[in-house]
Amino acid sequence: MIELIHVSKSYGNKPAVSDLNLTIQPGELFAFLGPNGAGKTTTIKMMCGLLFPTEGTIRIAGFDLVERGEEARQQISYVPDTPFLYEKLTGRELLQFVADMYQMPPDKATKKITEMIELFSLESFVDDLTQNYSHGMRQRTVFASALVHEPLVLIVDEPTVGLDPRSIRLLKDVLRNETRRGATVFLSTHSLDIAEQLSDRIGVINNGKLIGCGTLDELRQRADLHGSLEDVFLKMTEEDATPAPTGDKAIETAITT
Amino acid sequence: MSSHAMTFQHLRWQILRNTMATLFSQSWWQLVIIGACCVAIWVVIFMISWFGFHEMKTQPTWQLPLDGSFMEYLFDIFFFMLTLLLTFSTGIILYSSLFSAPESQFLLTMPIPDDEIFAYKYQGAVAFSSWAFVLIGSPVLLAYGLEVGSGAPWYYYAILPAFFLGFLLIPGSIGSMLCLFIVNLLPRHRVQLLVGTIIVAILGACIWSILWFREAREFGVGTRTWFDNLLNELSFLGGSLVPFHWMSRGIKYAARGEPDIMAYNLALIWSHGLFLYLVTVWLSTMLYRRGFNRLASGDSIRQRYGGHWLDNLIQLPLFMLDEQTRMLIVKDFRAFRRDPAQWAQVIIFIGIGCAYFFMMRRFYEQDIGRPFKIGISMLTLVATSFLMCAYTGRFIFPMLSLEGNKFWILGLLPLDRSRVLIGKFVFSAMGCLAAGGLLILFSNLMLGMAWIIVVVHLITIVILALAFSGMAVGLGAIMPEFRENDPSKIAVGFGATVNLMACLLLMAVVIAAIAGPMQYLHGQTPDHAVPLEEIPLYVWAGMTVGIGIGVAAIWLPLRAGIQSLRAMEF
Repeated sequence: MIELIHVSKSYGNKPAVSDLNLTIQPGELFAFLGPNGAGKTTTIKMMCGLLFPTEGTIRIAGFDLVERGEEARQQISYVPDTPFLYEKLTGRELLQFVADMYQMPPDKATKKITEMIELFSLESFVDDLTQNYSHGMRQRTVFASALVHEPLVLIVDEPTVGLDPRSIRLLKDVLRNETRRGATVFLSTHSLDIAEQLSDRIGVINNGKLIGCGTLDELRQRADLHGSLEDVFLKMTEEDATPAPTGDKAIETAITT
Repeated sequence: MSSHAMTFQHLRWQILRNTMATLFSQSWWQLVIIGACCVAIWVVIFMISWFGFHEMKTQPTWQLPLDGSFMEYLFDIFFFMLTLLLTFSTGIILYSSLFSAPESQFLLTMPIPDDEIFAYKYQGAVAFSSWAFVLIGSPVLLAYGLEVGSGAPWYYYAILPAFFLGFLLIPGSIGSMLCLFIVNLLPRHRVQLLVGTIIVAILGACIWSILWFREAREFGVGTRTWFDNLLNELSFLGGSLVPFHWMSRGIKYAARGEPDIMAYNLALIWSHGLFLYLVTVWLSTMLYRRGFNRLASGDSIRQRYGGHWLDNLIQLPLFMLDEQTRMLIVKDFRAFRRDPAQWAQVIIFIGIGCAYFFMMRRFYEQDIGRPFKIGISMLTLVATSFLMCAYTGRFIFPMLSLEGNKFWILGLLPLDRSRVLIGKFVFSAMGCLAAGGLLILFSNLMLGMAWIIVVVHLITIVILALAFSGMAVGLGAIMPEFRENDPSKIAVGFGATVNLMACLLLMAVVIAAIAGPMQYLHGQTPDHAVPLEEIPLYVWAGMTVGIGIGVAAIWLPLRAGIQSLRAMEF
């Protein structure tokens, strides 16, 4: 469903993402982890068509994002870390706007909007202007608008920041249900426990390079560590940041570890 | 219309309807005041224009036929300037709207064709950049219609909106194309290119202005021969291939009751306007998303910003202030100089000032009568004050609102919140005093005005510079718009409109009270400067009243703003 083939991206002369290869299957929840500035948001923006890869190809549902961007974006929903809402629209009007932009048939749009309002418990405020929403209300509305057109690919950047435990639980259930429906979820997060609980596979990016990709067990083997995802993540990113020792230093390192 | 385009129109309508409903339910008086201000401005411009056209037609020394080539030339100049201003303002607004607005990023992730997003943004930018020109232009043309011949036919008034709408497409499209090309072709040097383009345009306008008044040397200012020769200089404007000339001719022939030529020119305007619009939209299919990508990834990931010599320079005259206030001013200055959309508009302001100065300079070199010179010096005072008023309204008023959701940083600092406003006040006053003071000083000296007039004009400018700054900063704190991130939108909001009207009113009162009596006195005895001891009491009384009002206008809004800011919760 998502294919990144030798994808690189540079800002000026500085590489942000280097030779990224990744294939994510339909119905899979893929957690994308990495320290700040590792290249997660750049990768996501390329997957949404906001940025073009300097090299390589990105395909969404078989459509090349550069060549057939509109068809590819028709399959995507993107929830950024700081989502945009029209302040002078109500939640219901926003959902209708998104449904119209994805050219949903009117009957289906009405049905899905009602479903989303119910799913995310928006009933009490959906007809208020979004400018009056709290952070949690905004986030629930954004998710409702992202799912209203039944996307095949859901790309989510840091969805749980500022949410209360009930909302986080709801979000987890929603993401799991999406994968059961057959959608692919690409989840970028710093919340390692959520990644551990939800994901089918985990990718770790550091300094623009994918330094690990697989199930939690595969990552444990890769890191040679049988701890939590937090331990594995810290070890992998630490190793990647440390220059490879040479000569006597290498022997010393081998002895101490 | 495609379904996306219809959805965008529906979105606009919903946003307008909800905004109006909110305003009506929460603060309907804001709408009433904004409407009243617009009507007041419209009526004043209409009255001045009507009087002007009437004088041109009936004054014995002029007796200009308003349906002749003279008016066509004047309209050429008007629409040429309008073309330049609309091109730049649409380009700048579109740059912010297409490439840095969060809405653009949201829309670009959806399956909407790029040209439809561009068209939606283009329509908004053109409407936003041109409504003020329509507000100013419509009373002028209406007054012209009433005065031309024995009155223009009915279809003249009916067709004016069609002329305006068609014309707006031309500079709007040119500005949009410039914006797309700048972002796409020279991403690493786009700022330099933008500055270069504006500087070239300003230099061109200055050279043009100098040429414009060259004839004044030979024939004397204000004579009809001078005007005839001057208009010959501008013959290039009247070329049949320039759109603003089609406007001039179309309007003139509509006023003269010749509908065939009117319709021909209207067709020229609309056909070229729509053609340029189509070309621009077509270009956007290739250049918009590409430009967005290049702009986002043209530079290094994290551009390093360090200290700049300009930051040190601006601190020099601030030595008397405490460290915290100085740092607040430098912070505001840094935010300002790092935003091309902001300082590019300041350059346009400076350009208008320079163009005016060069135009006036030709008057100074003439052996014209003292009454005329006194009148010119007064005109310069009014024009300079108006520029300061526009500058504070556009750039200073939005400053506090722009702190927005970042205000907790300043709010939590161990400093009195009044310093935030004092810092902005000093920042504003410095700019106004430097630009306004120098312009007034040089223009009066070049005109050979008596020292007493120079001093009085400088006092007026100092009072107005401080008062405009105090009002913009103070009212900006009383009526902030923390939800809005775009300074140009804050500058046309309710608070800014109130500020503008208050500043214009103050400008009229202060100039009339401080400079008016002295100007009147010297107008009565134009051959010599009035000695200090012979200045009558009413002049001193006027100055005292004017200074008193000015000081109140500096202090009262500033104090109210400080109180409002101290009481504000975040």
